[in-house]
Amino acid sequence: MSDAHILTTEKLVMQFGGVTAVDNVDFSLKEGELRCLLGPNGAGKSTFFKCLTGQLTPTSGTIKLRGADITGWNTHDIVNLGVGIKTQVPNLFNGISVYENIRMAARRKHLKPMAKEKAEQMMEKCGVSHLARREVGLLAHGQRQLVELAMVLAEEPPLVLLDEPAAGMTGDERDRLADLVLETARSAAVIVVEHDMAFIRRIAKFVTVFNRGAIFREAMIDEILSDRAVQEIYLGKQADVAA
Amino acid sequence: MEKTLAKDIGFWVMLGIGLAVMFIGPMVWGLFEIMQITQYVVLSVYALSLAYIWGFGGILSFGQAAFFGLGAYTFAVASINIGETTVPFALSFLLPAAFGAALGYFMFYGRLSDVYLGVVTMVVTLIFWKLINHTAGPEYSIGAARLGGFNGIPSIPILNVPGDAKAWLDPAQMFQAFMGILIIVYLCLRLIIASDFGRVSVGIRENETRASLLGYDIRRHKVIIFAIGSGIAGMSGAMWATYQTFIDPNAFSMEMSAKALVWVMAGGVGTLAGPILAVILLQWLSLKLGTMHILNNYFILGAILMGLVLLLPRGLLPSLRLLAERLWHLGRQKMDASAASRKATSDV
Ligand SMILES: Nc1ncnc2c1ncn2[C@@H]1O[C@H](COP(=O)(O)OP(=O)(O)OP(=O)(O)O)[C@@H](O)[C@H]1O
Ligand SMILES: [Mg+2]
Repeated sequence: MSDAHILTTEKLVMQFGGVTAVDNVDFSLKEGELRCLLGPNGAGKSTFFKCLTGQLTPTSGTIKLRGADITGWNTHDIVNLGVGIKTQVPNLFNGISVYENIRMAARRKHLKPMAKEKAEQMMEKCGVSHLARREVGLLAHGQRQLVELAMVLAEEPPLVLLDEPAAGMTGDERDRLADLVLETARSAAVIVVEHDMAFIRRIAKFVTVFNRGAIFREAMIDEILSDRAVQEIYLGKQADVAA
Repeated sequence: MEKTLAKDIGFWVMLGIGLAVMFIGPMVWGLFEIMQITQYVVLSVYALSLAYIWGFGGILSFGQAAFFGLGAYTFAVASINIGETTVPFALSFLLPAAFGAALGYFMFYGRLSDVYLGVVTMVVTLIFWKLINHTAGPEYSIGAARLGGFNGIPSIPILNVPGDAKAWLDPAQMFQAFMGILIIVYLCLRLIIASDFGRVSVGIRENETRASLLGYDIRRHKVIIFAIGSGIAGMSGAMWATYQTFIDPNAFSMEMSAKALVWVMAGGVGTLAGPILAVILLQWLSLKLGTMHILNNYFILGAILMGLVLLLPRGLLPSLRLLAERLWHLGRQKMDASAASRKATSDV
């Protein structure tokens, strides 16, 4: 693992009218690092990801990917520079088969014969081979998550963003996912947003906690888990919801 | 695992029917019928232009007539000036395609939403219609061709054999040439749809966000799709112009745009054969109704259309397909059941 940064944001701000969803975020990630991003509902995690991938143009601040200033770039240009994202609500080609979905991703990086092979390999790896001919729109949520993951990994991006990948998964699917994330992190930098603490414990080392759009804490997972203030922002949120 | 074109039965059936009609038609039909069916062929090409961009690119255009008219006028002006029809015919594809690319660039790179896209295409058609209507005076001419405003352009040359300006096609030959064009357009579109480009188009139709998150440039893709559709619509305009030897601003009318929408919707969005079927059926119907003079033609057609949309919301072809599949399964079940009962009785 080198010490060079694959991703840095400086004073990143994203506002929607009066709401500041991302608030002055200075974030950096090393090449090949696995980072978990935690935070209560509405903390701005997904919005942060959307800024990184050009789905939203930040209100101010800069985003650098391997030294290139990608602030305000088009999504496809950012992606082609080496970012892959599994979105919180899976974005898939619903009307076509699992295989066709994954092949379309593999085809970005590979010539025709290789793309077929790569797609089959990714289906195997993500445990969806038996669903190859099924229409993606008809799958269960956990299966859809795995298909989207296969699509992201098929492009072998050096930076992988995973937004709540474990949601809707069965125990087995979760185990497979944890292994996959750890394996991916051996060759790429990965940021994982997740609410499932058991899952987080299995994969996390260094953790960033978001609250109200800003970075609240950055520390090793053990430290975060025993941090009173962190527990409170989570509990506070739950109290809000209960009220 | 991939469904290739070569293995698609529907494709071969369509090709077979097309070739059979093309070669056998002129032997069995009289002049009047040939003329009538030629009209269906031209309008089928026109319908395919929208069937492609809407069904396989997710672009809903309310202004397909803009390109139809542009192609028709391009052909008329060019053929009157040049004195032969091959180059003008090529231009009737190229010019509308180029215009479509330019308009598409403005719309897709400007990130117009679907609703605005519909409005823009409609307004562009209206502008053409207005403009061309105001060209009645003799000062509005391009070379030897007077645009003629609302009077239209008469005496447009009949299609000639490429390279021989004096060898005009007779109605049967024109029918065959047009059938040939329809088959080629159908074939090319099927090939495009089956290609990687076509698969990505379907991906964009299904989920634009995912397509761009995979790194595909949606805007560029859509501009190309739109330009191809515009070129085909323009070519069908040229076919219309040479078939009638006359063209007037109605080529640019809202009615012409609406017809394309109706055919594609009635035939089934996401199919190519469906809209062709709809052209034949609905044009034939309106012809029959027109000769009966009982009720207003448009009234009855409108009623039929509403019925179609309500009863077969997915369109003619997909519904027929579904029906065929059901019957097939029912037949299989019956056969299985009778086989089973025979077995049961023989066991006793
Ligand atoms: N398009 C939008 N328009 C207006 N407000 C938005 C928009 N997207 C997000 N927000 C707001 O920004 C804030 C952050 O939302 P975001 O989805 O990023 O949170 P999150 O951390 O991903 O939450 P969760 O864990 O529930 O997914 C929320 O208050 C949300 O309501
Ligand atoms: Mg979120």
